[in-house]
Amino acid sequence: MVENEVRLLPDDDGSWRLEAYLRQGGYQAARKALTAMAPEAVVAEVCGAVIRGRGGAGFPAGRKWGFIPKDATRPKYLCVNADEGEPGTFKDRLILLRSPHALLEGMLIAAFGVGIRTAFIYLRGEYAGLAARLEEAIAEARAAGYLGPRVLGTEFGLDVVVHPGAGAYICGEETALLESVEGRRGQPRVKPPFPATVGLFRSPTVINNVETLAAVPGIIAHGASWFLGRGLPTDGGTRLFGVSGAVRRPGVYELAVGTPLRTIIEVHAGGPPVGRSIKAVVPGGLSAPILLPEELDVAMDVDSLAKAGSMLGSAGIVVIPDGTPMLDVLQVTARFYAHESCGKCTPCRIGTSWIFKTVDRIRSAGGGPEDLDLILRLADGIRGRTLCPFGEGAALPIRALVTKFRDELEQAVAR
Amino acid sequence: MSGMKRIGLTIDGSKVEAFEGTNVLRAAEQAGIAIPHFCYHPGLEVEGSCRMCLVEIEGLPKLELSCSTVVREGMVVRTATERVRQARRDVLEFLLAEHPLDCPICDKAGECRLQDYYDRYGPYAARMLEARERREKKAPIGRNLILDRERCVLCTRCVRFLRQVTKTGELGVFERGVRSEVGIFDGAPVDNAYSGNLVDICPVGAITAGDFRFKTRAWFLERKPSVCPHCGRGCAITVESIKGYPMANGTRRVFRITARENTAVNGFWICDLGRDGRHDIDDGRVTGLMKKGLPAPGLSWTKALAEVAAAVRAVPGPGRAAEIAVVLNSRMTCEELALAKGLFVASLGLSKVFFADRKPGDADGLLLTADRVPNGRGALAAGFAPRLPAPGELTSVRLLLMFGSQLTEDFAGETIVPALAAIPSRFLFAAHSGPLDRLADTVFPVAVPAEKSGAYINFEGIRQAFCRAVEPPPGVVPEGDIIAFLAHSLGLNPGDPDAC
Repeated sequence: MVENEVRLLPDDDGSWRLEAYLRQGGYQAARKALTAMAPEAVVAEVCGAVIRGRGGAGFPAGRKWGFIPKDATRPKYLCVNADEGEPGTFKDRLILLRSPHALLEGMLIAAFGVGIRTAFIYLRGEYAGLAARLEEAIAEARAAGYLGPRVLGTEFGLDVVVHPGAGAYICGEETALLESVEGRRGQPRVKPPFPATVGLFRSPTVINNVETLAAVPGIIAHGASWFLGRGLPTDGGTRLFGVSGAVRRPGVYELAVGTPLRTIIEVHAGGPPVGRSIKAVVPGGLSAPILLPEELDVAMDVDSLAKAGSMLGSAGIVVIPDGTPMLDVLQVTARFYAHESCGKCTPCRIGTSWIFKTVDRIRSAGGGPEDLDLILRLADGIRGRTLCPFGEGAALPIRALVTKFRDELEQAVAR
Repeated sequence: MSGMKRIGLTIDGSKVEAFEGTNVLRAAEQAGIAIPHFCYHPGLEVEGSCRMCLVEIEGLPKLELSCSTVVREGMVVRTATERVRQARRDVLEFLLAEHPLDCPICDKAGECRLQDYYDRYGPYAARMLEARERREKKAPIGRNLILDRERCVLCTRCVRFLRQVTKTGELGVFERGVRSEVGIFDGAPVDNAYSGNLVDICPVGAITAGDFRFKTRAWFLERKPSVCPHCGRGCAITVESIKGYPMANGTRRVFRITARENTAVNGFWICDLGRDGRHDIDDGRVTGLMKKGLPAPGLSWTKALAEVAAAVRAVPGPGRAAEIAVVLNSRMTCEELALAKGLFVASLGLSKVFFADRKPGDADGLLLTADRVPNGRGALAAGFAPRLPAPGELTSVRLLLMFGSQLTEDFAGETIVPALAAIPSRFLFAAHSGPLDRLADTVFPVAVPAEKSGAYINFEGIRQAFCRAVEPPPGVVPEGDIIAFLAHSLGLNPGDPDAC
């Protein structure tokens, strides 16, 4: 790690406990916010830091907080999106495992800034093993007065509830997450209204990713300009890049936003194993359209990736080595989206299934260019037409795979 | 509505106006521009899931849902561009790719949105080579309801209706993605008094009614509006019947009664009691004149009514008030009640004019009122103070004219039968056969409300006029015609028929 942020990812094993967190200056930022700052100043500071959502959409967190109506008569809620389900992504897991108090402190600051008294952590079903540690961290914080009715002796109080999911990818979509917390089938809602005005239990709701909130204490402790200086003026701070696949040192790397993708893969993750080369890279979780080796000099920030025709997404980098049949990659990708489509809206429900059935058929029985054309047309029938971003998330990577590896795919299916 | 702000917008180049808060889909509809849709229903919350109603809105990069987008001043909407049409074609292609295309045996054929929209946005060749999902085709999901899961487009109108309107929530969506299916929860079928609406609102042939399946085709049905006579609300209904080819005695004429929109009275729904009212039109009818409970084929209406007139004349003037009794009912229209008032009370000076009606039940808090008659307020408006005859009030009576057979509902047989038997002359004007038939000298077959034109005043005082929705069987006439004929025979003017 370069530029390591010790409070975010301490290395030693006992470090997740409150005691260790406090030793490193933990909860000082919350103390500063609650005792020395006005709520509006907290929101303004986070706005100024231009911290863009770490869950995938890349929306500036401070602005999101600013959308919460000031004169709301209903209670307001904070929902932490810990439903880390994007294939190739495993950074939030590390925060929950190693530094749950960083998340709790970030939640505390966010809740104070927006005027929230109840927060939910929506924990991915597959992360059930982390629930106990999270609950214990919450208990520690409550016992020490960092959570509960009077935080740090102030009038401000916050309760945190851990809500486990049941294993559906779609529940990482913010409105499906809200439905799930409310005890209903996890399916996205029509927007508008947006959760900031009509969210959980029809009340104004902030939904932030784990990593986003865990970065907030740093912003409050050191200031927005410090945070901005660690990244780009349009995309502040450092991010956790999860690197997996054909690299010598897979893992989670905390690096400045804007670090070139090639540097992350070659320098930090050690590049491909000896004798192997890179065939393609998924830069930001499976939903981010795939990049070719010649496209790897792109800077890893929200805008640069969008300009490159892909997406920073959750910054989960998957390195695909030479020799990997792209028809297999296409099949696995298509299967994932067909399997995880919630089924609520027509294009996604039937389109993803149709694409998967077609890929599966040409993979086992062969096919021709017309089948690849059909897949592209089906993807076009999905993108921009669905109820939630899942549609883009499925259509764009499939489009990119078929377009960028057209020759290989045509040869692979020709019989 | 007059206090509501009107918003000006442009749809397909035309300047239109809509009330503030209207969605683009409705605004377009009001301007005569139909936007195709499956999941949207004005009586339910917006779901936005079928994606059929996408339109272009100037200034927005993506196609937007017309069902969930509310009109704004100066908004420019385009519903017929190639981009919009392509989106509709794509959604339709997706839906049809997983649709069984069993229209020849589907009861929805002829009134199915998939058919209508394919007609509008097709044709195109099928491109799916893959096998369709196989699903259950006749799942019994509750009273009179059969679900065909292969035809379902998952618009969830049915699920939402049961959650938002009846609040009984018997249906849910199970499984995920393309395997998603509508279904009931273990051992708890759809069981509420509004279940028939599920058939009305299903945009395709997924939910069909057990008593309609395979009985006829939608294009054989003649649809006529009427007002439901089964409670005090007077819901707007459509009576769908067959006419035009010879039907044997006892053949079904009315194949179904469906809900019609009337926001002032019933919104979009009707209850199953009203829907089952088709039996009231078709079943148990008196179809010809009867003497002492037996068909009297040789008897003509003129002769039979002359007997009634003669019986009236046989009771001398001063004695009439106490010696002729009339029993009316609150299913009669305002016009008929006005005639009755004019003839029996004003002209003949009768004091024994009673009402016998279906017994009240419980109001259900949704549409069904406690009153089980449609024109209780109309009876009041006609100047009656409706009441049943008290025991003993019929003893000195020499002539009884009964409109409807409801007397037996309110009195035990052992009370009413001897009382009626003691009256020398008894005439019954009834739509349905009943226990009073045998006690009447003559039974005259009369029309049911759907066979009449007239007006009802509902329990909230809303006057609703309606026209004949279905032809009465030959030789069956409305009570109003009978009263008018009697008046004419007696040389009396029953008064202005529009008195109420």
